[in-house]
Parts: sequence; structure tokens; C-alpha cells
Amino acid sequence: MATKLMTSILRRTSLKPSPVRPLSTAAAAAVSPLPTAEPQEDPTGISIKGVKISGRPLYLDMQATSPVDPRVLDAMLPFYLSRYGNPHSRTHLYGWESDEAVESARSQVASLINASPKEIVFTSGATECNNISVKGVMHFYKDKKRHVITTQTEHKCVLDSCRHLQQEGFDITYLPVRPDGLVDLDTLRSAIRPDTGLISIMAVNNEIGVIQPMEEIGEICKEFKIPFHTDAAQALGKIPIDVDKWNVSLMSLSGHKVYGPKGVGALYMRRRPRIRVEPQMNGGGQERGIRSGTVPTPLVVGMGAACELAMKEMEYDEERIKGLQERLLNGIRAKLDGVVVNGSVERRYAGNLNLSFAYVEGESLLMGLKEVAVSSGSACTSASLEPSYVLRALGVDEDMAHTSIRFGIGRFTTEEEIDRAIELTVKQVVKLREMSPLYEMVKEGIDIKKIQWSQH
Amino acid sequence: MAIPAPSRSEILALFRSLLRTARQYTDYNVREYTKRRTSDAFRRNSHISDPAAAAAAFSDGKSQLEVARRQAVVYSLYTPKVKSIMEIHT
Repeated sequence: MATKLMTSILRRTSLKPSPVRPLSTAAAAAVSPLPTAEPQEDPTGISIKGVKISGRPLYLDMQATSPVDPRVLDAMLPFYLSRYGNPHSRTHLYGWESDEAVESARSQVASLINASPKEIVFTSGATECNNISVKGVMHFYKDKKRHVITTQTEHKCVLDSCRHLQQEGFDITYLPVRPDGLVDLDTLRSAIRPDTGLISIMAVNNEIGVIQPMEEIGEICKEFKIPFHTDAAQALGKIPIDVDKWNVSLMSLSGHKVYGPKGVGALYMRRRPRIRVEPQMNGGGQERGIRSGTVPTPLVVGMGAACELAMKEMEYDEERIKGLQERLLNGIRAKLDGVVVNGSVERRYAGNLNLSFAYVEGESLLMGLKEVAVSSGSACTSASLEPSYVLRALGVDEDMAHTSIRFGIGRFTTEEEIDRAIELTVKQVVKLREMSPLYEMVKEGIDIKKIQWSQH
Repeated sequence: MAIPAPSRSEILALFRSLLRTARQYTDYNVREYTKRRTSDAFRRNSHISDPAAAAAAFSDGKSQLEVARRQAVVYSLYTPKVKSIMEIHT
């Protein structure tokens, strides 16, 4: 009752703008002559970058980021309002309570991956964790170990760190993957050298969603005694993770993929046998010297709450998301032909569906799907026009790689959203195919690959 | 002394409060999720026979209700001016 009154008063007082009198200097200042790049929002719709949509799009891009769960926000807010202390302040209540919160978040994250809280280091995100793992490990062991094995489908931050190491004189092997996206274990075995210092293979791929055979790779690493690093940013809270079963030495975790806040991540570093890294952030020695800098208490508490939630909700979410994925795939396949799923269908995380539509151009498909927030390729590479390197590594043809769309389904996705997405996608694909002369030729039975294109 | 198991009317009252709070959310996705999760959780827990487990589930539900109430207020303070596409098209 009191909260209702309070919110109605707040809404009335805070949102009314003060009236601007005409011909006053304030009025002159209020008219902005320059066109702003900010979205113009009015009750009839949003207009941004020359596109007008009638409402906020439905969100199907869970691999790029996920919305913050209200329960996570509830856990974080007190640390922005009254409990704002620095966890490293040892002399007063603010520091003590903040430190307590950080330690409890640490144990929440650790219990989701079956690790000890002492093995978790908080960072600013999975990219930083990947940098610490790849560059930190190799710099520490640089006298004896000069070789790193990774795959061609890794996240850009791992590949870029490896390229940086290559410039410093290390050798890197980029393992090819099979057409279904999985790493071939015999290829991995044959690539191992006596001076291999690290094997880095991501658990769940962000673009195609395939789950690598982690236990088998862990076995190989144990046999050859090579540290195993995995980027588990997309896997956390979605598939069961056990650092002992997988035999990982280092694992990168990200907060904003498990319905937590952006700007926080955690690095798991095994204590037995101990893996040592050279820190990338030097300073006051926080986080056991691995990552100096004030630990951001609200973000870390948010990540801890998100991990605890993920542990409780994993089974429920998985069941639901699997059902939604089937609904989406069957719905699209029922109305369209020439739909290809990129990546293995069996060993796949259900919430990631990467489809290629034949005889359709990718950019125009995305432009027509403005009411659905999806992505083609990953968010990190969407600025450039070249097709995704992950799809190229799978051996997908250039034209099919260009038309790939990644649908990301998550905890908050509803059946109605899936149905609407199916409707919009089918409509757009049919429209584009009708305009396409290539599709006409295919319908007549001409094999496109055998055409001799003549020069004019 | 063990906490007594909740009575049927208490459980129903909690269920109705959670659904009523869910309806207050201005965000389409969170509203639908809260409604759905509440119904599924109560349906799943309806088979609990052990009174201690039932009391634990009930108190968990009550704390979730507090969280939901607070967040409904926060979400309503920052509602975007434009609604989700799902709420506009009929």
C-alpha cells in the first residue's frame, strides 16, 4: 500500500519536465541544431539509424548478452546504495561487510563448477581471463614451453592473444575442426609436442553452440601433463561443469552470459597441481596477486547471485529451452526448405540455434528482421563484412556463411516470442527468395554450381 | 521445535500474491517469466509430503515474494517509453 503511494508520487514528480518559455535563452538552447544519434523514443515507436520500429524488438540474442535477472539486481542494489565500502579496507564496517559479500560470492561461483573458493579470481570479464590464461601461463613457463595448441573456432580474444604470442616467438597450432564443429581427438593428440605449454579449447562455442568433448580432451591433457584451459563463458550455468571431471587447470567465466551484470568475470585456477601465471594487471596485489585492482563488490555479488540461481534453475531452464528450440526449428522447417543447421545437432547447447538459409542474402535478411533482435556471426565480428571465421572453419560455403542467423534462446524467452520470430523469419525469407533469380533457377532444376558465368 | 507445515489457505494466498505481483511488472519478459515460474514451482512442489520440506519451500516462496515486490517497483520506475513489440501487436 505504502509502496504504491510512493511509486505514484515518484512517477508524477520526477518525470514532468519544467516548461520552457518561448523567446527565452533556455528555449534557444533547447533546440539542438545538430542531428543526434540518440534513439528518438515516442509512444508511436523508436527511430534510430534511419530505421523506425513500432516497439522494442523481441530479444533472441542470448549469446551476445543476457538480461539481468531481477533476483540478481535485488542482490546487487544494496551495494550501490548503502553498503558501498571497498572490500580491501580492513579498518571499518564498510570494508568488512563488503569483503564478506565478496567472499560469499566467491563460494557461490565456486560451487557451480565444483571448485574451492580459493581457486576463484575475479576479473573484469572472460576476455581478461582468457588474456591472463594464455599470455600469463606462457610468459611464466617461457623458458621450457614454447608451444600452444588451440582451435580455429575459438573466441577472438584467445586467437588474438595467441597471435600476440606468435609475434613474441612462440609456436601456435590452430587445430582444424570437423564439419560438425567438434575437435578431432586424434588430430589433437598428434599436434602435441614435448614443449607444449597450454591447450586452450572452448567448452561451448558462442556462434554455433557445439559442446566439445571436454572429458576426453581432459584425459589427453592429463596423460601428457599439459595444462588445459577452457573458455567456459557460454557454458556456465547452462551445462553441468565439473573441473575435476574435465581436468581443467584454468577456466574463464563471464558474468553477463548467466543473467548477471556486465563487467565482471571469474578465472578458475587449479591449486592441485598448482598452475602459475604471470599477472597482466600489476598493482596492490589483490586477488592473490593475479589481478590487482579494487574488486567491484556490486558486480561480484551480482555474479555470485547469478551463479547460485543458475545452479537452482539449470534443470528447469534446460528442459524449457530444449522445447523452445525444437519449436523454433520445426516451425521454420515446416514452412521453408533449404534451411541448414550449422554445427553438430546432437552435441549442442539447446539455446543456440545457428541456421543458414539457402539462396538468401544475409545482410538483407537481417535488415528485414528489425523486429527480432538476432545476430549473424558473433557480436565481436559483426562490424566487418567478412563472413564468420567459425563458419569458414566448419567448411561452410561462402554464400551459406553469409546468410547465417544465430537465434539465442534463454530463460526469459516465451513461446509467443518464438512463434512471432518464426512468422517474421519465414515472411522475410520468402519475400527475398521471390525476388531472387537464383532461386528461380533452382526451382527450374538448374544446378547453380555448374553455371558458367560469362563476362559482359 | 520444527516449523509447522503451511496450511492450504496459506499456500494459496502466497500463490495469488506472487501472481498479482507478477502482473505489476512493466517488462513483458520478466512478467511472463514470473507468472510461469510461479505456476511451475507450485505445481512441482504440490507433491511434497514431508512437512519440514514443505515449510522450507514455503519460506523460500515468501522470500521470493519480497524480492519480486521490490523489483516490481524498481522496474516500474525505469519503464522505457516504448513497449515491447509483443505487447503492441495483437
